[in-house]
This record gives sequence, C-alpha cells and structure tokens, in this order.
Amino acid sequence: MSAPLIRLRRLEKRYGRRRALAGIDLTIDERQIVGVVGPDGAGKTTLLRALAGLLVVDAEEATVLGTDLRGDVTELKAHIGYVPQSFSLHRDLTVDENLRFTARLHRLAEAEFVRRKTELLARTGLAPFADRTAGQLSGGMKQKLAIANALVAAPALLVLDEPTAGVDVVARAEIWTMLVQARTDALVVLSTSYLDEAAACDRLIYLEAGRVRAAGTPAELRAAVSSALYRAWGDDVRAIARAARALPYVQAARATGRFVRVEVHGAPEPARVLRDLEALPGAAVRLVEPLPVDMESTLLALSSP
Amino acid sequence: MPAPIIRTRGLTKRFGDFTAVDDLSIEVTPGTIFAFLGANGSGKSTTIRMLIGLLKPTAGTVEVDGVDVIARPRRVRDHIGYMGQKVSLYQGLTLRENVEFYAGLYALAGKELEDRWGALRERFALGEAEAEKPEDLPAGIRQRAGLALATLHRPRVLFLDEPTAGVDVRSRGLFWDLIQDEAGAGVTVFVTTHFLEEVEYCDWAAFIDAGRLIANATPEALRQRYSDGYRVDVAVPDAARTAVAATLGPVGETAATPEGFTLRVPALDPPVLAALDRLVATGARLDIRQPAMTDVFRRVLTERAA
Repeated sequence: MSAPLIRLRRLEKRYGRRRALAGIDLTIDERQIVGVVGPDGAGKTTLLRALAGLLVVDAEEATVLGTDLRGDVTELKAHIGYVPQSFSLHRDLTVDENLRFTARLHRLAEAEFVRRKTELLARTGLAPFADRTAGQLSGGMKQKLAIANALVAAPALLVLDEPTAGVDVVARAEIWTMLVQARTDALVVLSTSYLDEAAACDRLIYLEAGRVRAAGTPAELRAAVSSALYRAWGDDVRAIARAARALPYVQAARATGRFVRVEVHGAPEPARVLRDLEALPGAAVRLVEPLPVDMESTLLALSSP
Repeated sequence: MPAPIIRTRGLTKRFGDFTAVDDLSIEVTPGTIFAFLGANGSGKSTTIRMLIGLLKPTAGTVEVDGVDVIARPRRVRDHIGYMGQKVSLYQGLTLRENVEFYAGLYALAGKELEDRWGALRERFALGEAEAEKPEDLPAGIRQRAGLALATLHRPRVLFLDEPTAGVDVRSRGLFWDLIQDEAGAGVTVFVTTHFLEEVEYCDWAAFIDAGRLIANATPEALRQRYSDGYRVDVAVPDAARTAVAATLGPVGETAATPEGFTLRVPALDPPVLAALDRLVATGARLDIRQPAMTDVFRRVLTERAA
C-alpha cells in the first residue's frame, strides 16, 4: 500500500494568539475531488494554503505527497498547482505568455509545454483567446486561465480557493468539468460556497473554528445529520412560511418559489409534521411532501450550535 | 397592478468605447423582491449606481419612488437604503456607535431612535453584537448589522448588492428571512446575487449579460420557458393502480415506470396540486422534481449564445 497523499495530525496554524487552525486531523489516500466547506472564518483558506506548502505550520505529522510540510518544501511546490481566491496572473501578458512563463518556472521542455498548452487551451475553450492579454478576459475566462496555469506543469495536487466565486453559471459548469478531468491525474482540493458544487464533491471536509467538525462523502454527511426536510405547496407561500415557523420543531421555513422549504429538528413523528403542516392556521397548504435531506439542510444542521 | 416604484427606460452607460449598460428598461412592483442577476462584469453594479444616483447615465431615464434620479440625484437618498458587497460599517467604532452615526445622517434621535433601533436589534438578533466593532464580528452578523443600518431610516426601497457573498449557508438563510419580512412589510427590495437558488426567494428575476437584459420574468415563468417542466415520480402499490389512474385526471403527460408512473407538467398550478394531493390520499408516494434555477439560467445563456 502506498503512502497517503495527505496526512495531517494535529495541524495548527497560529497568527499571533489566534489559532486559525486548531488541530486538523486529515488523511486522504487517493485522487478525488475534496471540498472544504464551513462557515466564514472557519479556516478554509488557511488549510488550503497550508496544503499548498505556503505556510509555516505546527503539527505532530504533516505530509503532503510524501513531503513533510515542516521541512523544506521547495521540491514539493513543483508538484502542486495553487489557484488563490483573487486573480494573480500577469494581466499585461497574453494567455499564451502566462502559460509559457509558468512552464519556464517549472523548467518544462518546449515540446512538453506545447503539448500541455494545446491540450489545456482546447479543454478550457481558451484557444481562440491565446493572444489576448489576461487583463482583458472575462471573469470566467480569467478563472479558467488560472486553473489551466495551475495545471500546466501536471501537478499531483491541485488546490483551489473558491475557484467559481463570482463566475456565471455556464463558466461555472465548464470549470467543474475541468476539475473532474483533472481528478484523473491529481488530487483536487477546493473550497466552495455553492451547494451544488459541495454536493458534487467526492468527499467533504466540514471545518468550524479551525477544526474538522465532520468529514465523509456527501451521502455520509447527509445520513449523519438528524434534520428532516419537507416541502409545503400552496398559493401564498410567504404566509405559509410564517405560520410554519411558529411550529415548535421547525428550525427554518422559507418561501422558495411555489413551495415552502421546511427544516425540521428533533425528529418529530413524520405523520405529526404532515398533519401540522396541512393544517397551518391562516395559510392554505395544498400538498405536503417529505424530501430526502439535501446539501443545504446538511450544512445547516452541521452549523447548528 | 400598482405603478412601478423603480422604472428605467433605455438606461445606458458608456465608458469610452465600452458599453457597460445597454438600453435597459425594467419595472419593479412595490413591495416585491426583485433579483437582478448576471456574471461579474455584466453591468449589475453600474446599474445600481445609476439607480441610486451615484452615477449619471449616458442615456435613458430612471425613476425611483417618484423621484427623477437623473434630475435630482440627492433627493432619492432619503427614499432608499443601500448595502454593498463590502458592508459600510466604520471600523474602530462599535456597532452602537455606527448606529448613532447613521442616525445622525438621517436626523433620527432620542426616543424615536431608541424605539427604531431597539426593534431592529431584536429582529436582527444584534443585541450581543452592539458593543463589538464590526471588524471583530463574523461575516454573517456583520451583514445583518449592515442590513439593519440600511433600513434604520425606514426606506421604501432597499438596494442590496450581493448581500450574501462570502456568508455561510446558515447566515444566508437568516438573511433571506429578514429580506422576505421586509418585503412583507411593504418595502421593495432590489437585490443581486450569484447564488441562483436564492432567486427562488424572490418575486421577479431580471438577468443581464454584457449590459443587456436577456431575461425578465417571475422565477416560475422563467422555469416554464427555459426548462422541461416539473417531473413527478409516482410510486403506487400494485393494488391501488386502477384507483390511482381514476383519481389523477388529465393533468399532464404520463409514462409508466416499474414503480408506478412519471408525470410531466409545465407548472404545479392549483388543479395539478389538488390532483397530486388526491393521489397521496390513495397511498401513492410522490417525488416532485423542480427544475433548478442553475439549470434554468444555464439554458438562458446557452440559448442566447446560439
């Protein structure tokens, strides 16, 4: 059995007296897409930067691709592609020049560079824009270039901090396809605030206050939470939501299009919930259905005090 | 139908050769939540800046709550509340000191201020945050505080530019409850977001791409136009099949499945919901699949590109 790609035991990162990471335990054995999720300020960006070898950290054990993060990481960085939250390529260089610049830093042979570049430009749809300066690209194209740039030296680990933030829905789908393709050759670790992306990850790490609060496949996390979810359909959805919030076991109720999403806590009998929701005072409910718990309810339950 | 509280006609803004907003005509009904959508750089923030009188359009007209914003850009400010992506709370001042500062701008003081802020503090759950400085507050609470301050002077129209960006799912939910409550109390909310599932919380959605309006309707109407409609998987016990078929009536297309049948309907209007409710009464189990807004807007953009 080969060594794990990532193995962290009691990883800590302090900024002065504040512990941004307060003892992270994490082992990842195989290539997959790992999503780091959790509330604002939980330590997501710090963890990603630590994995990319960008921080001095304390730990009982901290190896990434077999290299100890507490020692010399110069060699390790050649095998990591890192895409930070804000665009950090050269705006006055063209798409082609940016990729060439990165390839030279990695001492890629010209023939290998041309082969990788051609493939990445085709995969990202950036080929027609190879001679455009990065600063003139749209937000989605900039992000695709940043990812292509991180992939040009064929890294074994790709780390991306909110790669799809602020990108339109079409570009977001294209970026996700790139990440799914990258998974064949690399471990992909990313943070995201989008629920659909979290649900599409192979594995999720839920961080809170610098610690791993929960980890597993999206299905495992869903199965572990004790919430239940219902939809109540009716005409005046805002009135239904207000009335539903008055029920003692309802944690959240929000008018959502033609129905009200009702999050239920404390495992009341489903028959009772159905009866109560059908008979909400002052709000005509036409149909109530129980739903499988989704990513929104899962993350909501995990963030409950 | 009441007269629109926000109305633009042919609104256009050019910066040199670049057209940021191109011939935009929208109308917003009072007391509704209007989602204004588009990618980064599509012209959303430029539009908001013109609507609130901070930027003069190159062409077109803007009217907000009866005020001609182009002719009287300062006049509109008493009618509106604004909260940007970066919440405009002063660092170094506590939340309470921020409240007093903003109250001063709107000549709100004494008992009137105490009553108004007391109510907001309670509704927005800001009691514990009052003595803290904004930089020490979690993003979700800071956003709520920003919304409380934007509504301090009881504006009739709220402009919220990506209020839930960078906020976790729990705070996003609480925030939308507050926004829906504001709309319920008659306030008009003009909001931008990148989370397309949040469009479901709104009454209307306008979508712009490269400065041009490419979709403008209720979320449900957009779903009907840009998706294959609702799919309802119905599981029926064998013994109940005949009874169920008799109960359903002609509400949509059906196709048999091993568990029962699949029903496709363009919309879940009252007759369809009533029919489905009758199905449940016969012992059938339903799985209603509503097309996701993400897919709806992906279709809007690809149809436009084609």
